[in-house]
Amino acid sequence: MKDREIDEMLSSAPLPPGPDPEALRRIADSIKPSMAPVRPLWPNWALTGGLVLICAAVAFAGAARAGFSGVEKMDWLERALVFSALGLFAWAAASVFVRAMIPGSRRRISAGALLAACCAGLAGVFALLFRDYHSTHFVSAGLLCLVTGIAHAAPTALLGWLLLRRGFAVRPVAAGLAAGTLAGLAGVGVLELHCVNFEAAHILVWHTAVVPLSAVAGALIGLIVSQRRKPA
Amino acid sequence: MHEDGNLEMLMARYQEGDFAAAATLIDRIGPQLHRFFAAQLQSRAHADDLLQETWLRIHKVRHTYRPGEPALPWFYAIARHVRVDHYRRSIRGQAGARRLEAVSRNAASTAPDAERAHDLDALLAPLSAGEREVIEMLKVAGMSLEEVARATSSTVGSVKQKVHRAYGKLREKLSGMRTGKGTRGGLS
Repeated sequence: MKDREIDEMLSSAPLPPGPDPEALRRIADSIKPSMAPVRPLWPNWALTGGLVLICAAVAFAGAARAGFSGVEKMDWLERALVFSALGLFAWAAASVFVRAMIPGSRRRISAGALLAACCAGLAGVFALLFRDYHSTHFVSAGLLCLVTGIAHAAPTALLGWLLLRRGFAVRPVAAGLAAGTLAGLAGVGVLELHCVNFEAAHILVWHTAVVPLSAVAGALIGLIVSQRRKPA
Repeated sequence: MHEDGNLEMLMARYQEGDFAAAATLIDRIGPQLHRFFAAQLQSRAHADDLLQETWLRIHKVRHTYRPGEPALPWFYAIARHVRVDHYRRSIRGQAGARRLEAVSRNAASTAPDAERAHDLDALLAPLSAGEREVIEMLKVAGMSLEEVARATSSTVGSVKQKVHRAYGKLREKLSGMRTGKGTRGGLS
């Protein structure tokens, strides 16, 4: 049997009966009292740019408070590669987050694939640049960086949500995952600007871990939102 | 099947607060969405409820439609969300869970007897929920692959894969029915 024949069968198959015209009229009547002009959301590029700016602002504000010792210790190649990778991933995460908040948007990459790409990309850049394989105070120094990163991810997520609060996530878990990934990248930004510990293991494990932890927290919040969402 | 340009123009007018445009959209999209729900739930009453809930949701978030973007995927994305939400709420209640289980078991195993062999439901019975949804959007609602991908929050590649798998299953089923036509009174 050919595809064309299947197409013909599908197009000639009787459809289930539609709704009662009276039901459609009732729906129209139910929305009539609240008819008012609404302002559409900003364009994607503006929302994406806004999110990246929030991300950068939180990272710089955090480093301004704690000190820019990390970036001062880096050479030009390290600065160029680390911050361009962060900028690129932040733009991608912001774009996925914006699309997740607008129904019917075009998807190029899923939130899960974005998280995997960000983690793998950051780990790759860190592994390429930082070759000091000694490790001192691995856990204590690492936990401090992890907490600092997460502490800066939280306000980034909050500000991002404020910017996109008029959006509507049809898949709140995916939207939360993307928002968490973006927020985690802001946390990594603070660490790269501030942290002077250039041991490979420390950066690879504790700095990179901010992104998946923040993303998982975002996904969990999305799950809670989706379970608590009431009917319209 | 649908006039995209008109839908988008109507949506823009709906956003401007034009009630006539909203009523026209309900008349035009309502039956499609109703069929979308009815095909999955096999219950007219449930489909009516979900249609009502979907339009209230559409009305509430109508500002999220971007003028110039295809309107049909936007409607279907919200309808899918309402359906998933409804499913989740039903599952939370024990009675709802039992009813849904029965309904979905029924939907999956509906045997196409001679009378219903040409029904869309019967034709799509061997497909998974995801495959059936994609085929309905493509072949019944007349959406493009790109539009289906937008409506289902997936990529065009993933939609193509589902269509390919669905056609494989349909081919298998329909060929089988043709072979057994003499004894069971099949499709053609």
